[in-house]
Amino acid sequence: MSYAFTIFSPIDTPLFTHEFGTSRSGGDGIARFTTSERALNPFILHSSLDIVEEVQWGLSTSAGSAPMYLKHIDKYQNCYISCWITGANVRFVLLTRPRDEALGLNAGAQRGSLAGGRAGLGAGGQVYNPTSPATEEAVKNFFVDVYEVWLKTIMNPFFHVGSGDVVKSPVFRTRVAAAAKKYL
Amino acid sequence: MTPLQDATPKPPKYPADLEASMTLPKQRASPASSLASLPYRRSNPSLQKLFESTASLSGSRASSGSATPTASVVPTSVFSPGSRLNGTGTPNRLPPGVSDEYRNLIQRAFVPHVAVLADTETQELIRGKGLEGGLLQLLRPFGELVPGKVTIRDSVGASRSWGDFGVRFVGSNDGLGLPPSQAGRNPGLRVSTDGQRAGGRISSSSIRPRRVGGDVPLIEELVERHLQYSEFNAHDSMPGYFDQNDAPVQTESNSSPFYSLFLKRLLSGLPLVPHETFAHPVASVIAVSSKNPNPIEELRKLYSRQNDGDLQLPQWVENQYLRYYVLVHDEETGDIAKSNQTFDAMKRHFGLHCHLLRLKGQQCIPSDDDSVRLPTCEWISASEELAEIQKRETADDITDPTPYLPDSDITAIRTFVRELVAQSVVPHMERHVSQWNEQVLARRRGISGRFMSISKRWTPFGGNRNSSVSSSSSNYDSHAGFYQASSPESLMRKLADYSFMLRDFKLALSTYDILRTDFNNDKAWRHYAGAAEMAALSALLTTAPLSSKTRTENVDTWIEAASYNYMNRQQNTTPYYALRSLALSIELLRLRGSSAADAAARWGSRILDSNLVGPVAAALFTERVSACYAVRTGVGSLRLGSRRRKAALWSILAAESWFRLDKALQAEKCLDAALRLYNAHFDPADVVESLPFPQMQAFIDELRNEILGLRLANRGFEGSGEDGAEGVEQSLVVEEAETLDASPRAHRKSLIGAVAPPMDVGPLSPMLERSEERRDDQFE
Repeated sequence: MSYAFTIFSPIDTPLFTHEFGTSRSGGDGIARFTTSERALNPFILHSSLDIVEEVQWGLSTSAGSAPMYLKHIDKYQNCYISCWITGANVRFVLLTRPRDEALGLNAGAQRGSLAGGRAGLGAGGQVYNPTSPATEEAVKNFFVDVYEVWLKTIMNPFFHVGSGDVVKSPVFRTRVAAAAKKYL
Repeated sequence: MTPLQDATPKPPKYPADLEASMTLPKQRASPASSLASLPYRRSNPSLQKLFESTASLSGSRASSGSATPTASVVPTSVFSPGSRLNGTGTPNRLPPGVSDEYRNLIQRAFVPHVAVLADTETQELIRGKGLEGGLLQLLRPFGELVPGKVTIRDSVGASRSWGDFGVRFVGSNDGLGLPPSQAGRNPGLRVSTDGQRAGGRISSSSIRPRRVGGDVPLIEELVERHLQYSEFNAHDSMPGYFDQNDAPVQTESNSSPFYSLFLKRLLSGLPLVPHETFAHPVASVIAVSSKNPNPIEELRKLYSRQNDGDLQLPQWVENQYLRYYVLVHDEETGDIAKSNQTFDAMKRHFGLHCHLLRLKGQQCIPSDDDSVRLPTCEWISASEELAEIQKRETADDITDPTPYLPDSDITAIRTFVRELVAQSVVPHMERHVSQWNEQVLARRRGISGRFMSISKRWTPFGGNRNSSVSSSSSNYDSHAGFYQASSPESLMRKLADYSFMLRDFKLALSTYDILRTDFNNDKAWRHYAGAAEMAALSALLTTAPLSSKTRTENVDTWIEAASYNYMNRQQNTTPYYALRSLALSIELLRLRGSSAADAAARWGSRILDSNLVGPVAAALFTERVSACYAVRTGVGSLRLGSRRRKAALWSILAAESWFRLDKALQAEKCLDAALRLYNAHFDPADVVESLPFPQMQAFIDELRNEILGLRLANRGFEGSGEDGAEGVEQSLVVEEAETLDASPRAHRKSLIGAVAPPMDVGPLSPMLERSEERRDDQFE
């Protein structure tokens, strides 16, 4: 299971990108994208913003309150996209690339991580299911942690998020990595 | 089949060049070798005509005649700065999503088939005119578009005139025999095809032309041929292709000529199969010559050959189709008084469906006074076109082998076809539609019909009103996989197909819908898939607006059912039909815009995911998915709900797959389209805006450089200093330089490598080297 995480500014420029693998069930936290996949990841993440906008401005599924966590919104081939949207229209987009076994491509019977792992594997055999409650919960916890760190970052008076400042803080990156390690 | 290897070797690939793409112009292979790899391409005008005809054929997309002016424009004026700057396209072009080129194409693809059968004297007469294929070859091009409007009355009695109605003339049992992937499925169903064929075949050494299509690999090979041709001849001889390259993004993403070609060949030469009746003959032309000593007797003989002789069709084809008797009179040697007499006798014997066709006997040459070139056939199968290309590539003479006919012949044939269609075929079909509608469909649809269909499942109630229904639980012969031609299911399918061909989509839809449930109950999976496919198509072809709810609830499930059943049922899958239903649904859904375009894109990726097609078609469909997304422009100033970024992603993917197929022009076109899509949000004055991700920019730059290298390698050093070609290349490079300079980012050096000549300094640097090199070549 490999992840690519990107924070998009309201004008679609990336403010922060981070790539990591799962740390659950023996994962070492290293992303395992092939070269061509890695090259395409930014394109996929960027293209999913179309869907983000549609979900964001479209009819609300939860009456009244617009949720920040948009859950699983898009899919390209084997890549699943989840999104969290902040009040300032900054988008957190997480790309999930399950292992081939978890997609039913190979006949492997390894246990996946918590996200798309146990419960995701439990229901329909071995197939990764992006909308299973456990997966959604894990991704949500990750986003909540990142959101908290993000809020602290943008409270910095010297950080101009409105002018598209890229997040360079190493502390931010370690916090995101910690959240990833904890939940994904 | 290895036609590609011997006739037209691909240009040699240089992997080293691709890696060090920036230095490509220098380390290109010696010009002589790349020249040797292009044997006939530029030297054979007759071959060029062949490719050009298909290119302009697909260029008819604009439907309002804008194709003609652009095709006739001299290249220099196309490349002039003026036409480059007004990037909004010619006023005649339709905005995206409104051009219904493919809708027309689909309507024109499903037309009645008319079998052609002629006696030996007629065939000899026509062979004497230089047409090897005999009467069929003579008639075929004229059937594709019936001159004048054809008025059709639909089931409710409303008349509508169509200007683009046509029929397909086919050989008597053409279309029998399925594409190779399915051959051998039902050996018992094949009729022996020896004996005198209605039309001769063009002889060719390696490709045996079959008039029946439905062979996807062959279609891809054909498109590959056209692509390769355009790749090499783009700038010196093919204004048609270059226009495409130059066109603004909207029209560009709307239609690539190669995709049109693919779709057209996909729909040409529908095979004769039990589960659909489009290729079953609606009528048959039986022709005898006036030279025949006993014409009436000969007509009877030909009829009986078709009815129960060697040309009889399998039992799932209804044999009682319309027979149309033609007396071919030779203007030069024949005696018109005698012919008139014979014709009167024919009318007495056979009734109204007769025609006297007067042709001139001698061969006509292009320099004759009123000679007209035989029009090219649009709807030929891929194998025929491949054979033709191959024949001309290997032929030594540079003259155009297409036969010429005297003007009077052309007029006579046009009149004949018009009369045949407007006075016999269409009324015949209308009559059958209303007859079956009353006798079969109404009964099935009424209360008793519903009851009957229930009682079919619960046998104790077996109705005795229709013996064939009550005799067994179903009419479906599950062993052989067909319904008898006289069974109500067959008739209903025929009714539905007839009304589809007559463009009465409402009646067709309701009939297909009933058939769907029947076939489902009978577990006739292929028939079920066919009914679902056509139900979806007729629902999408109706001009009435389609609510998104019905679309998602009905149409999508039908498409799903069709593609699933075509692909996955039983041992014998029919990928051709699955591809056809998906491809046509994509086009029709795309025309509906908004959320339907999303569905279209989804079906497009389904085609790619399920490996229905080879690499060339996969690239074409990737491009199509991008076009589907691009149709959604969104609403309001914020363009909410647009799929700009999705479209751009798929354009990039298409560019990459074209690049992997060595098609530099196509790849470049897709890349340009993608960049335009990515920059759509930015200020138009500020075109140097970079992409949001540095990685994206790097990827695109690298791809562009590689494509540039590939293009230079492909085109080698052609163009001996003509001003036109030179100007083109200059302007192209300037254009590229803009986008390359457009990236004020720090990563480039490390990514592209130190060998790169600095693009910022000299956008023309590769060109300068090239032109110097070219000069050297000339001096050698």
